[in-house]
Amino acid sequence: MWILFCLQGFCTEPSRHPLIKEANVTSTREQAIAFIGKIKELDPSVYWPNIRPALFLQNLKTNIHNPLSIYPGNSTNFCGYGAFTYLFLQDDPLGYAKLLVQLYQDGKARFANIDLNPSPAVQKAAGRLRFKGVLDIRPAEQMWFLTLAGHYKGYLNLFNRKYDPGDENKFWASCNYAKFNRMVRTLLNFKVKAKGADLMRPRVGNLYEYIRKKIETGTVVLFINNRIVHKKNHVTIKLGVPTHFIIAEKISMENDVITLVYWDYGHRTLMQLSPDFFKRIIFGITYCTKRVRDAD
Amino acid sequence: MLIKRIHIILFTGITGFIFSCSPKNISTKYYYQNEKVLDKIEETYKQLNQWAPFTIGFTGRSFTTVSVEIITDTLSYIYEFAVDDPRLMDTLDKYHPSPAKVFELIKQMQSIRCTWIRNLDYYVDEKKNSLIFMSIKPVSLKAPLSYHKYYVLTYFQQPQYFDSEGRLLDKRKLRRLRKINGEIFHRINDKVCYTISGNFR
Repeated sequence: MWILFCLQGFCTEPSRHPLIKEANVTSTREQAIAFIGKIKELDPSVYWPNIRPALFLQNLKTNIHNPLSIYPGNSTNFCGYGAFTYLFLQDDPLGYAKLLVQLYQDGKARFANIDLNPSPAVQKAAGRLRFKGVLDIRPAEQMWFLTLAGHYKGYLNLFNRKYDPGDENKFWASCNYAKFNRMVRTLLNFKVKAKGADLMRPRVGNLYEYIRKKIETGTVVLFINNRIVHKKNHVTIKLGVPTHFIIAEKISMENDVITLVYWDYGHRTLMQLSPDFFKRIIFGITYCTKRVRDAD
Repeated sequence: MLIKRIHIILFTGITGFIFSCSPKNISTKYYYQNEKVLDKIEETYKQLNQWAPFTIGFTGRSFTTVSVEIITDTLSYIYEFAVDDPRLMDTLDKYHPSPAKVFELIKQMQSIRCTWIRNLDYYVDEKKNSLIFMSIKPVSLKAPLSYHKYYVLTYFQQPQYFDSEGRLLDKRKLRRLRKINGEIFHRINDKVCYTISGNFR
């Protein structure tokens, strides 16, 4: 059964919400800036007792003006939700702004036919996460990541489904590949083509060429084994499993060296790697195009 | 009776050997034994990092391959070179106003098996502060029971608060332990703390 769960990422299933229309969800950054600019002040929310309204509003404005600044936090398992939010802000910044304001004011929200109804434990935790770097002072991102982690569940969350303080660093918040793709398909106006799985690398022929071509025509999310990209210790034998989501922005190859520019954790990074190493780290390639176009 | 005594002697000997190599023992001494060189590395890094932000790490066990991350406003560049590779100096030349000093720092780090150095932001009462995070793989931590352990130091800019057991606190009024990279830190002096960790970054 576990293997079946893992293999979910392989298939290129159609959207589970085919009724989503582009006009309903896609917007421009200017529209989002205009919307958020009109909100001068927010009242404290009874649903989110630890969120300071002024800081919430400031955080929302930062995200909309600068989507690159999204920061999933040190030592958390929020990287999948961070990459998802980056896509959200590319696709529909106005929808993001309205959704977060609604979630803040009403304690729950409905978006793209999905009801987000965070638990009291999540509502209490948002605004109180500490020692996560700049996420400490970003209550809107805390609220959003915790809400997503509480709502979407995958096999990695089977044994820890109820939030307790500290669970943002544990399996409660983990995001497997199929779950990430499911979030994109259900909430965003993207057509998703996913290759790869949690335990098996994608079969796409020439990996470099495949990713290069996809970057030219859409947004590409890579599910990578970060343990060997950003080593944290000198252990020689490392588990060959993916642990991290990044947005691939540019890729090129010269003299058998691949140069990859990607987004994660609030900024862009340029990294050079050999084709062999590149092959070793990639487990999932999610190719997103606007739903009006054919993802092929 | 004789056998019992032999057992006691053997047990004491083995236990003594194990604990003489333990991280706990090394943590109390290591900083003071190497204070000058550690403080010099921190001071040099702090100065060079102000001119152009970067991190340095040794990702291989042999301490011959250096990973350099150069942080600019728009992009972070991550490169990995052998320490004697001419491309390392070329890269430093391109991104840092004082490449020779950065190279000197790399050599100094290599000499004491310093695995990682970086500037880390943290927040107190919504205000941004920064500290220097430095990890070392001392030879003594190669003992069997501490094989994958690193000695991690944090240099704060302001004096910190500690509980009665010398553990780093979040702030004076709130008696909550401050964690850095998920680890609890212990007092060396008002501004310097240490921990023993399984990770160097």
